[in-house]
Amino acid sequence: MASRTVVGSGRRASAWAVCVALGVTLAACGTGSTPSPSAGPIKIGILSICGGPFATFEQETFSGAKYALIQNAGGKSLGTGPEDGVSGATVSGHPIQISFGCSDASPDKALAEARRLIQNVGVDVLLGPLSGDEGIAVANYAKQQPNKTFVNGTSAAQQTTLSVKAPNFFRFGGDGAQWMAGLGKYAYQTLMWRNVAILGEDYSYPWTQAAGFIGEFCPAGGKISKRIWIPLGTTDWASAVAQLPSNIDGFLLLTGGTDTVAVEKEYATRGGNLATHMLGGSSVMDPTSFTVGQPLKGLAGGSPVPLGSTDSAWTSYADGLEAVYPATPKGSLAGSLFTALYYDGMNAILQGLKQVNGDLSGNQAKFQQALSGLSLSTPNGPIKLDANRNAIITNYIVQIVSQADGSLGFKTIQTVPNVDETFGGVFGPASAPSRDSPTC
Amino acid sequence: MRIGRLSGWLLLKRAALAGVLLVILLVPQLFSAFVASSIGVQALVLGIAAASIIFLNSAVGMVSLAQTALYGIAAYTTAKLAVVQGVDPWVAAMAAVGVTVVVALLFGAIASRSEGIYFLMITLASAVITYYFFSQVTAFGSHEGINAVEPPRLLGKPFVDPTGMYYAALICSVIIYVLIRYLRRTPFGYALQGVRDEPVRMRALGFNVPLLRTSAFVVGAFIASIAGVLLVWYNSNISPGAIDLTRTIDLLTIAVIGGLGRLEGAWIGALLFTVVQTYSPAYTDRFETLIGLIFLAVVLASPGGIAGIARSLDRFIRRRLGESVDAPALASGRQP
Amino acid sequence: MTLRRLRTEIARRLAGGLALVVLVFVIAWVMVRAFGLFGTTGNLPQFIVVTLNGLTLAGLYFIVASGFTLIFGLMRVVNMAHGSLYLLGGYLAWRMVQHRALNYWVALLLAALAIGVVGLVMQQVFLRWNQGQDLRQALITIALSVILADQMIPYFGASAVSIGAPDGLAGSVRLAVYDIQYPTFRLVVLGLATLIGIALWYGIRHTRFGMIIRAGVDDRAMTSALGVNVQVVFAVTFFIGAFLAGLGGVLGGTMIALAPGQDAAFLLSSLVVVIVGGMGSLGGALVGALALGFVDQLSGIYLPAGYTNYSILLTFALLVFVLAMRPTGLFGRR
Repeated sequence: MASRTVVGSGRRASAWAVCVALGVTLAACGTGSTPSPSAGPIKIGILSICGGPFATFEQETFSGAKYALIQNAGGKSLGTGPEDGVSGATVSGHPIQISFGCSDASPDKALAEARRLIQNVGVDVLLGPLSGDEGIAVANYAKQQPNKTFVNGTSAAQQTTLSVKAPNFFRFGGDGAQWMAGLGKYAYQTLMWRNVAILGEDYSYPWTQAAGFIGEFCPAGGKISKRIWIPLGTTDWASAVAQLPSNIDGFLLLTGGTDTVAVEKEYATRGGNLATHMLGGSSVMDPTSFTVGQPLKGLAGGSPVPLGSTDSAWTSYADGLEAVYPATPKGSLAGSLFTALYYDGMNAILQGLKQVNGDLSGNQAKFQQALSGLSLSTPNGPIKLDANRNAIITNYIVQIVSQADGSLGFKTIQTVPNVDETFGGVFGPASAPSRDSPTC
Repeated sequence: MRIGRLSGWLLLKRAALAGVLLVILLVPQLFSAFVASSIGVQALVLGIAAASIIFLNSAVGMVSLAQTALYGIAAYTTAKLAVVQGVDPWVAAMAAVGVTVVVALLFGAIASRSEGIYFLMITLASAVITYYFFSQVTAFGSHEGINAVEPPRLLGKPFVDPTGMYYAALICSVIIYVLIRYLRRTPFGYALQGVRDEPVRMRALGFNVPLLRTSAFVVGAFIASIAGVLLVWYNSNISPGAIDLTRTIDLLTIAVIGGLGRLEGAWIGALLFTVVQTYSPAYTDRFETLIGLIFLAVVLASPGGIAGIARSLDRFIRRRLGESVDAPALASGRQP
Repeated sequence: MTLRRLRTEIARRLAGGLALVVLVFVIAWVMVRAFGLFGTTGNLPQFIVVTLNGLTLAGLYFIVASGFTLIFGLMRVVNMAHGSLYLLGGYLAWRMVQHRALNYWVALLLAALAIGVVGLVMQQVFLRWNQGQDLRQALITIALSVILADQMIPYFGASAVSIGAPDGLAGSVRLAVYDIQYPTFRLVVLGLATLIGIALWYGIRHTRFGMIIRAGVDDRAMTSALGVNVQVVFAVTFFIGAFLAGLGGVLGGTMIALAPGQDAAFLLSSLVVVIVGGMGSLGGALVGALALGFVDQLSGIYLPAGYTNYSILLTFALLVFVLAMRPTGLFGRR
């Protein structure tokens, strides 16, 4: 600086006054958004996915959660878009405010959204996330926020409840291995498969699903000859299909969203028979795959929800959902585990809140205790939580069939009750499924 | 009268600067825990990472896209040692810095033979290799990454009470800033300047240009590794999504917006980026478009970034108020 | 001085020899696994399918990367928005085929032309006035790619879509060997890539415009001094490069799929192809594309079980390997 300032003591004092004033003003503006304990509105955040291969499930998850508010909390839909809100929902006299968050199946984006909802928006309860690895990260985050409650959406990695065991993280839908209960036996006894390959996305949820299948298939005498794990985000599944060995009886497909469609199309184009040579994981058994068309007829897979069931509990749920959120083709929204499990999760939150009369004080202790002991009856069967706050569920084997009007739909062909996370002691905290484990 | 106005302006500048510094010092006391951590800590840590890019560019004339990958390596090493091996966090941090420096030697040895745009592309390739490495190797958790990474007890829990984490990041930022400015004045720093401006002449003078470039790259990696350790402690989690191509471009964006030629630009750019990233989801999903537009505007209109704009504005006002601004300061415009 | 030169010569020869040894070993390994020599069970049908996969993918990579290398070779512009142009071209054709039921080939041509125009506009508005500032142009194209990628999501959706191949080409063809059924469209892409390669080669080698491009690549200043309107040449070249990117996008969208993230994937693959093959060299782009296509596909099958997940690392290791030995790529020159 070429010049010299001539500053008297008076100027120096005023300079410091400016600094202090600046600091105080900023302090006044800055101390905002410390979430206040809920006396009045109850804020619920819903976390789903809107990017990446699972973006196809965004509509299903949000619609399921909102439908629970409409059916059981007096809410009114503000529109049929996925992030259109719900007005007028109340529970025990407290109005409910919902906020939406969405990520892209990667843990750090899910964490950032969870933090934004919990600490910036100030939700009291978080419903979500959707995907396996996100669930593990959010469950770990839950341990750092003991005064908030986290209810799982559809994330189905085994470790989330069997290893992480956050005391305020509740999973009412079960994990991916539970969603395969019955399928291993079905493959061995009904389809007479002995030698099987596994093709799936390379992360915790498909590994968990494989574990559930292997847990029944291998003790019965079956063999897994090859496991092909493809990184998430790959769009060229043709080379993955080319890796399937030619001497297998069939393969288990463990993909979700658009990856499922890519594999099924490629396999059918190469002359493969999906009904006799493939079994589907739970995300494969979803109406978003129906664009593949008639080759899907006869394809069976494991699912925690009785798709296509004629049971009144299921049909009344499906018809009611269809009335509020109509989808084309008819029933495509209701015929998805993503819709149903987010619906169950929101219902669990509402029931828990009703039990404690909306009292979230004392670090939500009473509310969390109510959730732990909840006995939920859902369209997909009765739900109770085990000691790790994971559900003991009824599982189903569902099949894609051709309906009367020629379009594709589902049929439930087997029911497996009382499935718990450890599969009767087979799995434990140390048995985290991975690419090669469990062995076979 | 003119002297009075000029000195008045300088006084105002100093007062504003002092005010800003005071606020920075007192962020945990003045703002909520969310702001102190999501904005404060994140801006400081990203600023350190961006400072490594700015250092490499202004000291040696190399724009490196590998810095994200390097801080990822540091973060993963810290996480793996601390969580899986149960090593003390401080020891894990030091090991992480060491590992990153060694890997940087490898990357640098290959990349230092290239210049300009080729260097940019090779560092981009290195970043992508690193990303795929961490997303495929199960020892590092592959897609799930590593969770439950705990910072040292001294720093506290970042999202419950960010005070410890914030001051640690602040102290590191100050140290890095001082270190880089100091380096400029050492013989090593002057040699780097020579390599930046006249590599052929330097070679003729007998300097080992590739070795100098590699050394600069290693220094940049050291800075980035500090950011990586702080980042994984702050997030309690590291996964491949934190070091993918989008994050690599984001870090470059921060450096460019702040000002590729000025060291303060690293933290200015990081603050702007963090604020936009944290608060824009409430208004729009199109955060990337917003950041991209700001990036484009800066590159088109003011290559010096925000720091450059501030400097030009300051010079403009000083000239209007009667000061004769010396020419050399105008011409160089580049000093960290 | 001569000792140092001798040392570098030996080092280079050694590296070249090592590369040759590695190549021979890899080919032998693949042949053994494919043909079932030395007691292993071979799988020839799988080998044929995978080789065809590699060839067809290489064809797609070549189409996209040739545009990239043309732009770089002549204008020294690293067009980081090349991947976004690829994806945008695919999406435009998808919209045209799906919503307006346009004929596939008409949609293909229109989409590629549209992207050519987009590229031309991009060059005129953002790149024409700062020629020579390599870094600045790279940053500008990076910014444009970020904006384009993010803007495509609300207009075209966040999930993957694929363009329906034209009737008759949508099924599979029965190959003469082993009764293998192979998707017809992938073979069509291979054929198109060959045609485009021949057209480009002919255009560069035997037309006046091609001669000007070659001259510009060799010595831009002199070409301009000789009275050639360099600005027009640049504009046309950028148009062609963008056209090729858009064309590749439509073909890729039919053969594979279109999704957010594909732009980055194809930008990276173009970078790998062009860096391996050498900047500005069409022949290099061909070699690079073949190398990338084969490494990509073969490694998924022929790597030992348990390492197949690292196939993606191999493609980048290929890049680093080539760079370490020849910093300008196999056929490149600065």
